[in-house]
Amino acid sequence: MRRFLLSTAALIALSCGTPAQAETKIELQRFFGACDADYGTVTDVSKAVGECGIITSLVNKFEADNPDIDVNVTTVEWPGYDQLNAQLASGAAPDVVSMHYSAISDYQSRGLIDPVDEVLSAEGISPDSFTDAARDGVTKDGKMFGLPFDNWTMLFHVNLNLMKEAGLVNADGTPILPKSADELIAQGKQFKEKTGKPYLVQIYANETAAYTRILYTLLQQQNSDFFADPTKIKLNTPEAKAALEFMKKIKDEGLTTTGLDYAAAVTAFQNGDGGIAVNGTWLIGDYVAQSEKEGTPLANGYTVYPVPQLYPGRDSTYADGHSWVLPHKDRTPEQTAAIGKLFKFLADNDYEWARTGHLPSVKAVFDKPEFKALPHRENIAEIAQTGRSLPAAVQRQFPIQDIIGEEAGAAINGDKSVDDALTSAESRINDLLANL
Amino acid sequence: MAESYRRSQWSNGLFVLPYLAVFVVLLAFPLFWGVWLSLHKVDLFGPGRFVGLANYGRVLVDPVFLQALRNTIVFVLVSVPVLVALGLFLALALNRTTRMTSFLRGLFFSSSVLSVTIVTLIWRFVFIPGDGLLAVLSEALSVQPVNFLSTSGWSLFSVGVATVWWCIGLPMMLFLAALQQIPNDLYEAAALDNASPWRVLTRVTVPSIARTIMLVAVIQIVMQFQLFGQAQLMTNGGPNGTSRPLVMYIYEVGFLRWDVGKAAAASELLFLIILVAAMAQYVVSARKSEASE
Repeated sequence: MRRFLLSTAALIALSCGTPAQAETKIELQRFFGACDADYGTVTDVSKAVGECGIITSLVNKFEADNPDIDVNVTTVEWPGYDQLNAQLASGAAPDVVSMHYSAISDYQSRGLIDPVDEVLSAEGISPDSFTDAARDGVTKDGKMFGLPFDNWTMLFHVNLNLMKEAGLVNADGTPILPKSADELIAQGKQFKEKTGKPYLVQIYANETAAYTRILYTLLQQQNSDFFADPTKIKLNTPEAKAALEFMKKIKDEGLTTTGLDYAAAVTAFQNGDGGIAVNGTWLIGDYVAQSEKEGTPLANGYTVYPVPQLYPGRDSTYADGHSWVLPHKDRTPEQTAAIGKLFKFLADNDYEWARTGHLPSVKAVFDKPEFKALPHRENIAEIAQTGRSLPAAVQRQFPIQDIIGEEAGAAINGDKSVDDALTSAESRINDLLANL
Repeated sequence: MAESYRRSQWSNGLFVLPYLAVFVVLLAFPLFWGVWLSLHKVDLFGPGRFVGLANYGRVLVDPVFLQALRNTIVFVLVSVPVLVALGLFLALALNRTTRMTSFLRGLFFSSSVLSVTIVTLIWRFVFIPGDGLLAVLSEALSVQPVNFLSTSGWSLFSVGVATVWWCIGLPMMLFLAALQQIPNDLYEAAALDNASPWRVLTRVTVPSIARTIMLVAVIQIVMQFQLFGQAQLMTNGGPNGTSRPLVMYIYEVGFLRWDVGKAAAASELLFLIILVAAMAQYVVSARKSEASE
């Protein structure tokens, strides 16, 4: 009996102790949506379209190429920072997390994410291989705190079919876009008269980000240094007033859709409910796919441009980007190596990600013939130079975005005067930044 | 006798111990921890520093808090009477046993089992401009459509409609249960006296279920003060903060801005408000029933 017990114990010990091929598990948490029904098993990345499709198939491909690594993906509702905060607070953070450049300073300043310099150098990824905008986005205190994945901005997605109807297309087929604020109003009125539809399709309900990104862009174009001191915003300025009054005028003249939330605004443009959608780079891939379908309002009539320079100051557009960061936690050397491999794979496949419409973070992708051949990329390539983010030291950029969006929305919808809205936004943001 | 009485006291204590443990760990401890947090400048990720009542001062002068407080009180003042009245109306209408009423009871209760996400998705289809049900209807009737989710006033109203639809099941069921407890001889006596249906309702039915009405009102006051999910998903508190409830303010301050001390102070204030509102309702109703007895 004793021998039987001993041998059983020995067998159990053997079977548990040395698994033949240990899988290294990485917990990856991201936004970009869930689309397992369409892409759950797709490993041919070139077949995927849109942010969700491409990132899902990229991870599938990585797992297929590295059978010893298991990437366990958790999809969170955009932007997912509440969940991450709760995980960090309870010591249960995932290994790799998607994060906006604009959110990194919050986590970095609190020691909640780890630098990635060693992980990158172990895989031979040089910081110089990234574009300046992308590298600057993740660099704090001289260290890189994430793998830069892209840069994005708001763009003018143009429905050429409607623009033709409005007489706003050049002889060469390119759209006539405004070169000043007054011109935008004039062209908007012309568009509305000829088509009976609003000139702009904007996200004006249940939303703050869209208002803020446009306001930042208009401020930058007027050379307004509203965050000269990263701990204090200045919004009681003639530039901010001009920008917000202009945004209000667009609404007052009936040149924009109102009341559409994000999903409704995306669909409205697709349905031909307006001339120009003011929305992000990430929609290019989807809209191009739509324009290739006959019989749709966008059929053979879609193009895209950066937000035009509307003020004489400088050509500029507010830019942010996505990165992959490592929450601070203990990891085995195998896990760190696996994360390095994943980062290398993502950097090597940055072209695939750039098919979403985002600008690549890896310099070399810009020179790839495949990238140059992607539709409309030459129109927006200048964003690599004109894209500007907020100063790296500005903390709580997401809450700031909410406050500005709420106050700007109030002014635009006529619930508050422009001056009141700017004063209120400034004092709310400065109270927030003074109490970090 | 005295000996066994003393002994039983100790052993009885053991029976409530499991409940007591859960109560202390999940309710009493967080309550006191919340108070402790509200006295500190602290974020989600580490120890803070004691600041006394400074957080309460900051909350009380914050115009956004005051606006959220106003929104929440308006919401409770409108939604609770509607829930009580509509719940009672449905219960009266369905207080008989036919196949149809059983089906309708189930139907009205079915919304309660949905999650807040589904509820708001359904109502988004109704309220969203362009393709929404109301927008299509008003277009068909050639009426200028209203942007329900992004117009001051209408946004909180829309959240209220979704909330009433979502929450109506429980009041209806509680009222139905209460109605079935009323002895039938009261109605027989009323019929003999040739009482009108309105007189039967006001003199027999309502007084008989007064305690349930109070129970439903208190439950709904406590629940509706904690409005959050519907407002966040349907309007995000907008426009201009006109549909931002207090819990959403607490969430924004605590989780988005990492100012947990201030959020905890606002939570304690909300706790006090709910306590006072529920107690006031209780005291008023108790006095009324004493006076009528």
